[in-house]
Amino acid sequence: MERLVVIGAGMASGRLLEHLFEAAPGRFEVTLFNAEPRGNYNRIMLSPVLSGEKSYAEIVTHDDDWYAAHGVTCRFGERVQHIDRDRKVVTGATGDVPYDRLVIATGSDPFIIPCPGHDLDGVISYRDLDDTNRMIDQPPGTRAVVIGGGLLGLEAAAGLRLRGMEVTVLHLSGHLMDRQLDPAAGYLLRADLERRGISVMTQASTSRIRGEGRVEAVELEDGTILPADLVVMAVGIRPSVKLAQASGLTVGRAIEVDAQMRTSDPNVFAVGECVEFAGQLFGLVAPLYDQAKVLAATLLDEPAAFTPKQLSTKLKVTGCDLFSAGDFSDGQGREDIVFRDPARGIYKRLVVADDRLVGAVMYGDTADGNWFFGLIRDETDIAEMRETLIFGPAYQGGSVQDPLAAVAALPADAEICGCNGVCKGRIIEAIEGGATDLGAVRGATKASASCGTCTGLVEQVLAATLGDAFTITAAQPVCGCTDLSHEDVRRLIKSRELKSQPAVWQELGWRTPNGCHVCRPAVNFYLLADWPLEYHDDPQSRFVNERKHANIQKDGTFSVVPRMWGGITSASELRAIADAAEKYDVPTVKVTGGQRIDLLGVKGEDLPAIWADLNAAGLVSGHAYSKGLRTVKTCVGTDHCRFGTQDSTGLGIRLEKRLWGSWTPHKVKLAVSGCPRNCAEATCKDVGIVCVDSGYEIGVGGAAGMDVREVERLAKVATEDETVEWTVAFVQLYREHAKYLDRPYKWLAKVGLDWVIDTLSDPATRSALVERFDLSQTIYQTDPWAQHTARETARSFAPIADLTLEAAE
Amino acid sequence: MDTVLEATKTFVEVAEIWVPEEGRLVLSGGVYGAHGTFAHASHDESFAKGEGLPGKAWAEARPVVLKQFDGSYFKRTEAAKEAGLTSAVAVPVFAGSKLKAVLVILCADDATRTGAIEVWAEADGILTLDDGYYGAASHFEWVSQHTQFPRGQGLPGGVWASNTPILMRDLGSGYRFVRSESAGRAGLTTGLGLPVPVPGGTTYVLTLLSAKGTPIARRFEIWDARAARTGPRETARLTDGICEREGPLWDPENAGKERVAHVWEGPVGRVLGTGLPVVETGAAAGGYAMMVGLPIHRGGELAHVVAWYC
Repeated sequence: MERLVVIGAGMASGRLLEHLFEAAPGRFEVTLFNAEPRGNYNRIMLSPVLSGEKSYAEIVTHDDDWYAAHGVTCRFGERVQHIDRDRKVVTGATGDVPYDRLVIATGSDPFIIPCPGHDLDGVISYRDLDDTNRMIDQPPGTRAVVIGGGLLGLEAAAGLRLRGMEVTVLHLSGHLMDRQLDPAAGYLLRADLERRGISVMTQASTSRIRGEGRVEAVELEDGTILPADLVVMAVGIRPSVKLAQASGLTVGRAIEVDAQMRTSDPNVFAVGECVEFAGQLFGLVAPLYDQAKVLAATLLDEPAAFTPKQLSTKLKVTGCDLFSAGDFSDGQGREDIVFRDPARGIYKRLVVADDRLVGAVMYGDTADGNWFFGLIRDETDIAEMRETLIFGPAYQGGSVQDPLAAVAALPADAEICGCNGVCKGRIIEAIEGGATDLGAVRGATKASASCGTCTGLVEQVLAATLGDAFTITAAQPVCGCTDLSHEDVRRLIKSRELKSQPAVWQELGWRTPNGCHVCRPAVNFYLLADWPLEYHDDPQSRFVNERKHANIQKDGTFSVVPRMWGGITSASELRAIADAAEKYDVPTVKVTGGQRIDLLGVKGEDLPAIWADLNAAGLVSGHAYSKGLRTVKTCVGTDHCRFGTQDSTGLGIRLEKRLWGSWTPHKVKLAVSGCPRNCAEATCKDVGIVCVDSGYEIGVGGAAGMDVREVERLAKVATEDETVEWTVAFVQLYREHAKYLDRPYKWLAKVGLDWVIDTLSDPATRSALVERFDLSQTIYQTDPWAQHTARETARSFAPIADLTLEAAE
Repeated sequence: MDTVLEATKTFVEVAEIWVPEEGRLVLSGGVYGAHGTFAHASHDESFAKGEGLPGKAWAEARPVVLKQFDGSYFKRTEAAKEAGLTSAVAVPVFAGSKLKAVLVILCADDATRTGAIEVWAEADGILTLDDGYYGAASHFEWVSQHTQFPRGQGLPGGVWASNTPILMRDLGSGYRFVRSESAGRAGLTTGLGLPVPVPGGTTYVLTLLSAKGTPIARRFEIWDARAARTGPRETARLTDGICEREGPLWDPENAGKERVAHVWEGPVGRVLGTGLPVVETGAAAGGYAMMVGLPIHRGGELAHVVAWYC
């Protein structure tokens, strides 16, 4: 009999032995080493053992009887110390074993983040039954932190939670399972896990594990400290190759093998996770089984060759239905087909290129996953079924996505009318009570009776409740990605507490994976305006000027405008501006209508340096490019003017220092005039304040562009403090309610100045608006120039493409 | 095939299905074993909404546990007493707001039969025991009455969070169940938990906890019926299951190679076809004395079928 020594009793070598014993019983005398004190078990089913949904006995693949029946000499619990390839001998702790042919199947080792504290008691990896049992032995109530939001980490988290522990998952990137899922599916997975009581933190980088001898807490890079009794590291695996390396076999990232699974030594073979083939590593079970089959043939002197195949991914968490296969990254020539059903939490995305399905990711309904996987694997031409592909193989003339889906999915307690606090359930009650048109619903509930921006939503609730007995007024949708209007989207972001872009795309049934150039900037603004603390501004969802923090000019250069508070400057500031203009060869220096100095013609690569120079002189960005506060223009007021009634300059500076940095639906320009002669031209600004002897007249809704409008009076107040309060409250109300890219005058035309005055006349409301504005400013009142002069960021301003081709706003 | 007569007594003696017909619940099927008199009494019975145990489950749209027939609303008390049946659980099966059927399980009481049939209900974000029948497992009953489950924790919390049936093994070993210590003492080994959807959205979770000596069932199956659209015929896939005779019933490779049930084929196929529960015995129940197949609807559509055989 041929002496075959196998190192490692994992799933790959187990399958190899099954093939060998089936094809050639009695041909091999097998000695099987395993570092674990047990034989082959179904390692991929450890997660359900952890959760209690399977027993260990159920996942044993080969028991003692099986090994005995096939005459396998088991050396379990014995780590191989050495391979002597010259003598063809393997040395274990209890002695040598000679081989004719040797199979290395040492699998992989868990990767442990080498952070301080990684070796504390209570920090474990998740790889084998012993790890699993250690987790099982923790009492209910244990605070567990799982580092790694990939397949293994999430399965561990779900299992620990089911066992009664308090579980937090930390994941380094922006969404869970980022290697297998796109952000939309990652969002749904996160929501699913959070419904199970699992806390999920993304973009969470572990800096150290704290504890005296035993783990007590996990500390993140941002300083967050998470108390923990157990830390599970599930951040990845590394092929286990030390033994092979020590024996002199060719090892790259893993043990290099040919298509017959032969290593650099013709009598030594390798199979499983410890193998590198054609530059690839393998972690899922399907290719390992393919390798086992090929190696069995090789050992039986039969022709066979290993070819890596397309893989699909499933998560073994009961009730989490996700499927992912192929490649679903963005790319040229690729088209997305997206289906969302917000009510049922379903998301499906297919990626098509050249009439072939190249990727599929789905969540919530994965019934057709294997069919899609087959189309990807077989590279089937899908041109004929492209229109209906997303509905799966059984589709026969199904319907298109229902535009009412997002509203139909709203729970009864979702607030539809923010002004009057009216929920969907109350509206439905009114409709069922006979209020079958908009006017009747307004009369019965007051919904949409104030600012009116929720009118579209109220109509959709009417349509969803009454069916074709109600005809909905067509509203202008945001873009082709959705049928919802801007006002609908704003309202739903608030009432459904949607705090991320993926949440908006999914819960509002977007037809595209990630929105488009039209809706992304709007949704980005709505999210940051409504959830300043929870949502992080997405620069990729901004127009080029806001990304670059400078206005791009028609020749591809930029303009740089430092802020001059209230239009006041000084000799040293002017000197710094002049120096910068000379140093960077600025061809044009222009005084603007907003009382600022514009340096025109700055090269993109010079931006960080000129900003740094201006910063050094105490100048910050003037935000001349932003949908935000631009300038506060002032006259000289009582300081110098004979006619001045109040300190208009001081008020202008005070307002600018309060408001600068805030993002708004469109640009906002202010002016303060010290008397009705109005030298600061305050009556054509978005907010214009005219000082009079008896106080301050605050006007809003002026314009002097394509449209020319005079402001209308918002309020007349007696003090400067009141003026600031009213102005800030007005800007915040505008931020919270207006459609993106509506200037205040357009917004006022929609909601009515009377509603704005009514709203702001309530001191409590005014105060709450100011509070929310100030909260937002704690995040956004930062100088982008200072942030972007850091070296890393500066690199992104170096030209990599012809920027003249990029669309300016 | 002969009916398997195992040496040990099972926990459940009778299972029956009541379906709505012209405003009343009428018997559509039942397995009564040796309790012929009770079967006879049942065949002559029907229930209006709110009447008797099945009518109460219908009217109140929730699972109902009844542990004392005497002096209760139970209508077949005399026949039940004669048969030695002492407790019953009624489980309404709703598809959306429509009542499809009421499954009634009856148990016989003695000092040795251990097991548990529990109903957990959500209130204020926590699952607490609504009621339960425990046989001789009185300590476990006390523990359950004093246990609460947040979302995702333990068998009831896991079912609630995932909105799917879950089959747990080895309840009494280690900490594999939040109430494990007591479960271990009671000899409870396997637990099947399933959501009971009702109109109005209140969360109810039914758990069947089985002891080795007096098993609630010798075989459990969970079928995923959501894959029904995939093939040319409606199908369900056996995603989990365990059997005293056959061992594990799930696909060891987790590769979509689960056993498949086709519509109208066998009792599970019948559940698929009708959306109604089934009870069977003998050959139709795979040779077991009793088989119960219970559909779980989600959003008005059949999502899962759980089956247990005893």
